[in-house]
This record gives sequence, structure tokens and C-alpha cells, in this order.
Amino acid sequence: MPRRSILTDKETAFLRELVRNRVPFLIVGLSAATLQGAPVVTQDIDLWFKNLRNPGIAKALRKVDGIYVPSIGLNPPMVAGENVELFDIVMNMDGLQSFDKEFERSIEVSLGRFKVRVLPLDRIIKSKQAAGRPKDRLTLRVLKDSLAVIREESKMTRQG
Amino acid sequence: MSLGALLAQAGVSRTAYFSLARKDNILPKSLRSIAHALGAPASAFLLEEAEVVRGAVRLAERAEAIARRHRIADRDNVRHTLILLQKKPIERLERGLLRAQALHTYR
Repeated sequence: MPRRSILTDKETAFLRELVRNRVPFLIVGLSAATLQGAPVVTQDIDLWFKNLRNPGIAKALRKVDGIYVPSIGLNPPMVAGENVELFDIVMNMDGLQSFDKEFERSIEVSLGRFKVRVLPLDRIIKSKQAAGRPKDRLTLRVLKDSLAVIREESKMTRQG
Repeated sequence: MSLGALLAQAGVSRTAYFSLARKDNILPKSLRSIAHALGAPASAFLLEEAEVVRGAVRLAERAEAIARRHRIADRDNVRHTLILLQKKPIERLERGLLRAQALHTYR
């Protein structure tokens, strides 16, 4: 029996189109943590773009009937439309280095037919420690425990 | 351990135990019929369950070893991470999305 997908085809297509259009971006935050195996929950997928003016973003959005809404007042820029409402744009990451530096140390994760770049779990932890919001502090223990497990498992795999 | 103590610990009455002990075969007739129709021994169902149990024990032992080595107080964090590491990244993400929780709760 085929597995029921929680992500819609259009949501997956948006990420795929970003990759196809060679838009430099990273999946960050708790959704990035879940991709690496951390047992946490989140309500959105945070995307950190190198350059929000990259025309590939608009192209990818058009493919899935989404639009880009620039920053208005204190509101950060966002993507709008039923097929992209799951995604949030992140403007900066507390406690981390530039996008380019973080992109260099990012990891590649397969989403089936394509791969995305993801902020490593240790950098997610660093960012959450720097942000220090109550909701960040709540998840830190789980993220740190998961990082220990992931490193152990990775070590075991390397050792065969 | 005496039979009485064992039954008391398991919460099984002596009547239920002796009723079971008198049976030629303790597997339900419907299960045996299904196994017969499949051309498989009825014990295959039990073996599959045993493999699940063995997998769970292996997971628990691994979780315990990691938790001790890293002094992790919450064993659940370790166990759940180990479970998620057995899945594909896309499945991990889907489980982590809040909208998925209701679906996974009832799976």
C-alpha cells in the first residue's frame, strides 16, 4: 500500500523548483532538525535564502501558484498562497556566521528525487542558544540529546 | 517462582490458566485457518511478532548504552532519535510537522 504523504505535491514541488533553479538556500530551524532525526515538532519549514532577489525564487513560486510578499513595516518578507503557506522565510540566524559560511558547512539531505541543503544540527543548536527565546530553550535539551545519538550512530556506521 | 506466584504476577487466574493448559492448540482457529489458506504455518505469525520484540529489545539496549555514555537523562529522546534514524529524511520531516501529528497518533 503506498505511503500517504503529509507534504502535498505542490509543497514538494516548490522545494524541487528552488533546487532546479539553482537558488542558494538552506532549510533551517526545527524542520531541519527533524530531517536529521531529532524528535521535535514544528508547524513550518524555515528557509534561509542567500539573496531574496534571486529570480529563481519567483520562478519556483510561479510553478506552484505562490507569490513573494516583500517586507511590510516590521513584518518580514513572506511567501503567500495555499501551496506555500507551510514555508517561512528567515532573514537572519542568531549566533551564526554569514549565509555563505553556513552554506559551506551545510549537509545534503535527500527528499526522494532531489536533494536539499540543510543546516547541521550542531549549528541549529548554536542558533537556538543565541536566540534564547523561551520556545528555543524548550527544545534545546531534545536537540542536544539527539545530536549525541546521531554522532554515536554515525561513528558506529563508519566503524562498520 | 511457583505457578501461583507466576499467575499472580501475570494477573492470570488459575481457571484461565488451566483452561489454556487443557487446549491442544492455543492459537485461535481463525488464525490457523488464515495460515492454512496462505499455505504457511500458523507459527509464522508468532515469529513475526517475536522479531518485532527482538528489534524493540535491541533498540532499547542501544538507547540505554548511548544514554549512559552521554549521561542523557531522558531515555525517550534517545529512543525516538534512534527510531527516526531508521526512517528516510522525508518521513522524519513529515512526522515532525504539527499537521501530521493527528495522523501518526492513530497509525
